[in-house]
Amino acid sequence: MSKKNRETDRTARAAAAMEEQQRAERRRRNTMIGSVVVGLVLIVLIGFLIQRNLDTTTDVNADAASSSSEFGVTIGPDDAPNKIVVYEDFLCPFCGEFEAASRDDFAQLAADGKLQVEYRPFDLLGGGDASSYSVRSAGAFSIVLDKSDSAIAKKFHDLLYDNQPDEAGPFPESSSLADLAVQAGAKESDVRAAIEADQGTPWVTKATKAATDAGVQGTPTVLLNGKVFTDYSTMQDLASNLVDKVS
Amino acid sequence: MKEWVGFVLRLVVGGVWIWASALKITDPAQSVAAVRAYQLLPSSLISPVGQLLPVIEMVVGVTLVLGLLTRGSAVVSSLLFVAFIIGISSVWARGITIDCGCFGGGGVDPDAASKYPWEIARDVALLGASIYLVWLRSTRLALDNVLFPRPAELSAAEPEGT
Repeated sequence: MSKKNRETDRTARAAAAMEEQQRAERRRRNTMIGSVVVGLVLIVLIGFLIQRNLDTTTDVNADAASSSSEFGVTIGPDDAPNKIVVYEDFLCPFCGEFEAASRDDFAQLAADGKLQVEYRPFDLLGGGDASSYSVRSAGAFSIVLDKSDSAIAKKFHDLLYDNQPDEAGPFPESSSLADLAVQAGAKESDVRAAIEADQGTPWVTKATKAATDAGVQGTPTVLLNGKVFTDYSTMQDLASNLVDKVS
Repeated sequence: MKEWVGFVLRLVVGGVWIWASALKITDPAQSVAAVRAYQLLPSSLISPVGQLLPVIEMVVGVTLVLGLLTRGSAVVSSLLFVAFIIGISSVWARGITIDCGCFGGGGVDPDAASKYPWEIARDVALLGASIYLVWLRSTRLALDNVLFPRPAELSAAEPEGT
């Protein structure tokens, strides 16, 4: 073997060794990256499971619907096979949408004895401010509920949604709420003075405490037979999926 | 110089993600409600997405700030911003007024329509920064440089960086 040949051989061997080393280096690097990716995916997975555990959306422990309930008005008989409780705020636009989408079907199912619905208004958006529309409207509702029968209270409830103000205002005066109560069938002498003086505020405070104590965090929160109903995307969905479940 | 710009952008974008996540991660119920308010996803996806988003945001934020798997993390960051831009544009177009829930909160917000353009502009800017980080390949003061050093002789020949 000539000297020259040996030299080429050596160079080739060195190049091969270098290449092998580079390959090993690349493999090592890819393994490192791969393990970090796996680690991060695991962290996301564990975080997701923790979040799922901490999600309190469905942790609502509310009293069942009942015609003798203190904080709501019901339609449909107490012995109906399906019961729905709706926690709502008269100012909440989604509640207004849900009302529009569900009212007629619920009324029909209730009249057929298939369903009992209890509407429980409380103050979510007013934040406890006695002059807020959320508090005044729910307070007016409580006065009608107290002084009139439940059919009139339900009618007043419906009228409040039919005349729902924009969340940004302007908001009707309490005297306009009294007008609606009278329109719903309440006796003017029974309700007007109390509504105009916002005498329902203490009831609203109690109703709101009952709702938050039960775990209600938003409106509308709808319970079907005691369980928070979450199978919906739009308010239209919420109404039609509920109707499908109970008819 | 570019690598220092990349370093600063990592801190900015990563910092925004960490901040956004920190305000939400303690209250998944609120996060789920915020996702639901977009009225965009099928009902079966609403809870998982609402629960998952704050976690992904935190991981993306931390990895960007540390410079760990910077490019991959910036890809995820870009995809998230694209999704948010689509989400906000979609509620805007449908006339739904909600708080975007980007930094906690969520639900109906009567002033939302006037905020949408700013929220979209902010997300477009952050999307641009994220894409720049993907394109840049490497930045200063990144954990990547320590953990996965690219051998000098390889970097020129290697078409695919990480």
